[in-house]
Amino acid sequence: MSARAYVVAEFAAEAPLLAAARALRGRGLADLDLHSPVPLHGADEALGLKRSVVPRIALVLGLAGVATGYVMQWWMVGVDFPINVGGRPPQSAPAFIPITFELGILFAALGIFLGLFGLWGLPRLHHPVFEVEAFRSASVDGLWLSAAVEAAGVAAVAAELRALGARQVEIVEDGP
Amino acid sequence: MNATPFQGGSRLTGIAGAVAAAALGLTALGAVGDPRQALASYLVAFVYWLGIALGALILLGALHAAKARWPVVLRRFLETIPQTLPLFALLFLPIALGLKHVFVWVEPAGLGGELAQAVAHKRPYLNVPFFLARAVVYFVVWIGVAHLLRRWSVQQDRVGGHALTLRQRRLGAASLPFLALTLSFAAFDWMMSIDPRFYSTIFGVYWFAGSFLGAFAVLAIAAAATRALPDHFGHHLNADHVHSLGKFLLAFTAFWAYIAFSQFMLIWIANLPEEVPWYIVRTGSPWGRVGIFLALGHFVVPFFLLLSRDLKRDPRRLAMVAAWLLLVHWLDLHWVIMPHVHQAGPAPSWMDLTAFVGVGAAFLAFLVFRMRGAATVPVGDPYLEESLRYQPQ
Repeated sequence: MSARAYVVAEFAAEAPLLAAARALRGRGLADLDLHSPVPLHGADEALGLKRSVVPRIALVLGLAGVATGYVMQWWMVGVDFPINVGGRPPQSAPAFIPITFELGILFAALGIFLGLFGLWGLPRLHHPVFEVEAFRSASVDGLWLSAAVEAAGVAAVAAELRALGARQVEIVEDGP
Repeated sequence: MNATPFQGGSRLTGIAGAVAAAALGLTALGAVGDPRQALASYLVAFVYWLGIALGALILLGALHAAKARWPVVLRRFLETIPQTLPLFALLFLPIALGLKHVFVWVEPAGLGGELAQAVAHKRPYLNVPFFLARAVVYFVVWIGVAHLLRRWSVQQDRVGGHALTLRQRRLGAASLPFLALTLSFAAFDWMMSIDPRFYSTIFGVYWFAGSFLGAFAVLAIAAAATRALPDHFGHHLNADHVHSLGKFLLAFTAFWAYIAFSQFMLIWIANLPEEVPWYIVRTGSPWGRVGIFLALGHFVVPFFLLLSRDLKRDPRRLAMVAAWLLLVHWLDLHWVIMPHVHQAGPAPSWMDLTAFVGVGAAFLAFLVFRMRGAATVPVGDPYLEESLRYQPQ
């Protein structure tokens, strides 16, 4: 694996930030991110983000929860240890529905919660771009762009970002 | 944005009025031969369309209570749907005149056994004068709230400002408990009392759940139908408005299933002799197949269809799902009311169709007629601009 580096650049306003993201994406750089203390309208489009996979995770896990809930009760009170409750047959589907529903909700909710963690890259606690002291302003008032670049192209990308109007550009080596 | 009062629609009113007169006339002819069937078919059609008008009224009150700003653009249409309530007060007359053909408690002399005892026990509540007096109260409350909310909104078209918005919000919020209670008791009176032994406290919510969903379905269909007409609200909706309507359809499809299942499961699990026969007829006999079909067609299929984001943002496909929901909502009320007349199993009658079309066409004619004389969008509302820009996230 060739060495990689991160190029981070701060912009003074939203429009040049989004324009820079579009320009770098036009050059074929795919591993881009934007960092901002406020929601950026149009960031999804500028970064070329696809629709989130979270709804799919929720659907699959929700259905898995429904299946787990129903099969669990079907086996436990219907097959393994039949219990006579008020004279109803051991396999009483209506009585199984509430737990089936609840487990569907639980699995879907946990899927969203943990799935998001996974997509965010947790439990990774540190990222090379944090090495840049000025990058801290991304959680106060700074608008930042970060790009993961092959070592060979770092200088060109940094120069291009300056040309695109970046206030400051820093390069961070990835690795130990 | 067209601020001039709407004056069109006379052709649609004429056609729908003629269809209503013909279909209701046919139903009346049928009543001569088989009054029991005719009245039951008519009752299904009546509570179906009335429920949609009430669902729209409650939605209007709820949106005012929530100070909702995004739906302002579609609010005038929502205000106009409940303006059909005076029509339903008129359409209630055939039911009031033919009470004894559907409601066994009207003439208890011929009853025997536990049914006679149940009717005698409930006499202080289930008697004709009190029944009619309650109906008057319901309609007075509904028509009063619907009339005031729209009147202030139309007045705002001319004078603008925020004062009338505040007034609408206060009445909208304050009316909700009264609307909820009157709707619930109307459901007890007009549908649940058909079998005087049966009682379910959630029954009113069950009617509400289907009707509220129906109101959203009507909104979605009207939005798609008026998309190409610059005079109407559908023209001004963006994809996010349509998406929100779709989300509401999804939510209340699930809500209906939740309520329907809650009522069923509590009665099934308690297995009490007063309550459970109602479900034995509706799940045991061939009616049970209708019940299974409702679980699939009224919940499973529309629920999974409406999960799709693309479908919810496409007015045309959303309107098709909405039309399907309106269809199965009718089947739901049919399944609630008809087993009392046809215990052995479903027995469709041509009067089911004529009553449904008749009341529906009268509803449509009156709705379009009442749209006249006011702008089709609340042009004086201070939040209209914000509503037109609606873009969540």
